[in-house]
Amino acid sequence: MSKDITSLKKQNLTWRIFAYTVMVFYTFLTVGPLFWLTYSAFKPHIDIVKTVFAFPKSFYVENFKQAYKLGNLGIYFINSVIYAGVATTITVFLALMCGYGFAKFEYKRLSNFFYYFFIMGLLITVHSLLIPLFVLELKLGIDDTRIGVIIPYIALGLPFMVYLAKTFVEGIPESMIEAGRIDGASYLNIFWHMIVPVSLPVVTTMLIFSFLGNWNEFVLVLTLTSDAAIRSLPVGINSFAGGRSRDFGMQMAALVMGTMPMIIFYIFFHKQIKAGFAAGSVKE
Amino acid sequence: MTERSLKKASYAVLVVPAVLIYASIIIIPIIYTSVLSFTEWTGYGIPKFVGLTHYLNMIKDPRFLHGLRNNLLVVGISIFGQIPLGFVLAYILYRKLVKAADFFETMIFLPITISSVVVAILFRQIFSQQGLFTQLVRIVRDEPRFVFSMFEDKYLAIIPILFVILWMYTGTYMIIFIANLQRISPSVIEAAVIDGAKEGQILFRIIIPSMLGVLFTTFVFAISGSLRSFDLIFAMTGGGPANYTEVIAIYMYQTTFKYYNYGFGSAVSMAIVALSVGLISVVQRIFGRFEKKYS
Amino acid sequence: MKKAITFLAIICMTTAIFAGGQQGETAAADDGVINLTGMHQMNVTDETAIKNWDIHYPVFQAENPNINIEWEYIADEPYHDKLQAMSVADQLPDLMFLWPAKRTGMVTGSGRIKDLRPWIKGHEDEFAAMAMAPQGVNGEMYELPEQVTVCHVVYTNDRLLDELGLSYPKTMEELLAQQPVIEAAGYIALAMDNGDGWEMQSCFLSTLTERAGGMDWFNKAIVGDGAGFADQEFVDALGVIKTLADANMFSPGINQAGYGEALDAFVREEAVYLIDGGWRTQNLATELTEEQMGYVSLNSFPDIPGQKGQSGSTDAVAGTGFGMNVKLEGAEADAAWEWIWYWAGPVGSKVKQQLGWIPSYKLPAPESLPTIMMKLVDFLGKAPMTPVIDAVMDGEGMGVLHPAIQEMMLGAKTAQQVADEYEAWVAANDTSRK
Repeated sequence: MSKDITSLKKQNLTWRIFAYTVMVFYTFLTVGPLFWLTYSAFKPHIDIVKTVFAFPKSFYVENFKQAYKLGNLGIYFINSVIYAGVATTITVFLALMCGYGFAKFEYKRLSNFFYYFFIMGLLITVHSLLIPLFVLELKLGIDDTRIGVIIPYIALGLPFMVYLAKTFVEGIPESMIEAGRIDGASYLNIFWHMIVPVSLPVVTTMLIFSFLGNWNEFVLVLTLTSDAAIRSLPVGINSFAGGRSRDFGMQMAALVMGTMPMIIFYIFFHKQIKAGFAAGSVKE
Repeated sequence: MTERSLKKASYAVLVVPAVLIYASIIIIPIIYTSVLSFTEWTGYGIPKFVGLTHYLNMIKDPRFLHGLRNNLLVVGISIFGQIPLGFVLAYILYRKLVKAADFFETMIFLPITISSVVVAILFRQIFSQQGLFTQLVRIVRDEPRFVFSMFEDKYLAIIPILFVILWMYTGTYMIIFIANLQRISPSVIEAAVIDGAKEGQILFRIIIPSMLGVLFTTFVFAISGSLRSFDLIFAMTGGGPANYTEVIAIYMYQTTFKYYNYGFGSAVSMAIVALSVGLISVVQRIFGRFEKKYS
Repeated sequence: MKKAITFLAIICMTTAIFAGGQQGETAAADDGVINLTGMHQMNVTDETAIKNWDIHYPVFQAENPNINIEWEYIADEPYHDKLQAMSVADQLPDLMFLWPAKRTGMVTGSGRIKDLRPWIKGHEDEFAAMAMAPQGVNGEMYELPEQVTVCHVVYTNDRLLDELGLSYPKTMEELLAQQPVIEAAGYIALAMDNGDGWEMQSCFLSTLTERAGGMDWFNKAIVGDGAGFADQEFVDALGVIKTLADANMFSPGINQAGYGEALDAFVREEAVYLIDGGWRTQNLATELTEEQMGYVSLNSFPDIPGQKGQSGSTDAVAGTGFGMNVKLEGAEADAAWEWIWYWAGPVGSKVKQQLGWIPSYKLPAPESLPTIMMKLVDFLGKAPMTPVIDAVMDGEGMGVLHPAIQEMMLGAKTAQQVADEYEAWVAANDTSRK
């Protein structure tokens, strides 16, 4: 694509040195702490405190075993997958439906009203919803249930997802839709057979953003659930936080285990992530 | 079914589920909160109507103002730090100034995949007495009793946090910019180069104008995200010491949850929303003018 | 259209399968077993805490096989958040871990916690006097304290003192004079954490307040009877902290330190003194070697200049314990009482003694206790006790006092300013003044 003409390979050496310096420095800054975290997790607490930089003398896996056991990480992991997976799928699906509705139907005033309705959600902090939400769930009897977590996740994810979806669907050529209508397809058919396939790039972005957000969420799960059997990973990790965790080794092992899934996910799917960004985030 | 009613029905099916869920989870509680902001309530008994008292007290409270200041600084670092830095990094990668662009891209984006609580704990460790940063400085400056004390200064305490925020979120902006830079049609750039345009001119006359839409979006996210920032700072310092690193969202949390002052906490929440709306409108005006200039 | 519906149906079913049926169980009696729900503040990653709990609950179960309690554990501050949210929503569990005074005051004062006096009747003398102090406005007892908690102890590393050619100071001046020696040797003088703000007030200032003004004055200041916190006495107490801070005697970075760092430093023998609460002896019992316990002594802060209070005093408060939901009746209430009685009464207290606690239930001192615990028992026997500020004053006031103390230590405020600020808030808002 932007190969020879746009590349500056012929440009000054100075620029290139500058570029490399910035890049390497920034990467080092980014990866450094994470690298330190990872290898420190293999050292017992005493070693971490006494010799901060040193590499582990041996693979001390006690930290991980302890963290896993005490933090109940196995169950929490499964729950995280459930919450993030189900909530994300539903959110993206619903958001795409709205995107289509708002972008391609002519009820403009209604659509705009709803659209801004959703956008306002971007400005709300979770804590201002916490107590009313908790009380609401209690009255409905869905507190301390998985669905009691999934529904708020969906609601909180909708604003951004609807924004992405609507922006993208607006860019789908009218002609394509017209053709479908002429062929006798119903609106919902058009949605299913045309909009969805064409929206794959933005759907990818949405899925990823939504999944990330839901996976790392923790305040809602903490407040809305009590039963350890349905809690998620961030809650488990957080029990190692609080600065009162006096075993740094165990704390770090917990952090590492909490972050690994996302990092691995990212490393495998980053190409798709980037592709999605291109299509989904431009406001024409 | 007639064409029109079919259309209405389809619209309903498409839109209603999402609106319903959203309305019940977000809108109803928000209305509840906004009404609560005009009352005094400790969580027990009946709320007592007090009108604008909370808002007035809030504006007069030096702690709120300090939190506001910190919030604006966070917005500032996002707009003047993350976005330009993200852009520079994106530009470098886009213009292929370095090899292994893919590797760099992946690495720089990494922090965003980590939960902010984890980042907070990690950096609290790093800045603590036995932490990475402290030890590094001790060795480099040969000061065995050095302790990172920026948190102890009322006005500088927020700086380490700004740094961590920068660390965490710049990657996102970088990716957004790269993706959109690659959408610029190469032929336009070709033409400019053939015409003898220099790097700087290409940057300012072609690239930036075509990025305006994206820039606006990033500004909006930066602002709304910054004003809401809570998790990271709370997990890292709890707003301390002595409320030096507090931001409005933490201020709200403390008042509502620690001291059972739901009315006041609600007022603060509303203030956050109002601020976001205000700042975003301002940004919209500015961008509106830029767009006119460039088109 | 059909496809869409099918798809939606699949999603709904999947969600329902995963999402449904995880509701917390309500207490129901079947085949004579009474089920109760309980909430406890415990950090599941704190080994000492888990070890203690793992011993307690099985003992209770063995004695009461017909009672089954389902526990939820939450650590530290989030415990209070959750308890409060549940209280507001009127959804409290059957049993809860509570504080005697203002710490969980909002919950106990809401009318949702049962008054335990009918059950306690007749047993009052079996407990330490301080534990039987009234907790409610009309003398109610909402929880049965498990111990009397001493909040101020100066743990001293005598071996280091020897090494430096020093001995435990009798006055503050002597202590200050020790600083250059300690610093030159590379040790920390007074290890302490104050990142959360409460440590300095609870584990130090409260004691200093009594020292500076005496019990009479202290009690009067609490209710505003001719005395207040803007008085010179309180300023003097704050002044002690300021002087020590200015002399660099505290741990470096004390106001950012998470609670526990100072203990670590003391255990690693990097600090000569550790100022912390009596509860730390449990940690020390686990983390120090037998030899180390031999040379750690427990003291109270030396005399301060112009001292009007009692030498060697320390601040203490009735400890935490369990309370029950006001809605419980009949067999369930009795079952809940069984647990409460177990925890703080003779059986549980004996278990606690073995683990190194000093229960509020009067028991003869056991013969085999970790050395350090014996020292604590000694200490408790000798030190006169004074109130803890955050137990007798409103929690919201702490939001004013704690940051102010931090700012004073950081040099941004004077002791007088802190005193004035706090008194101003108390006079206008505190319930003890009303």
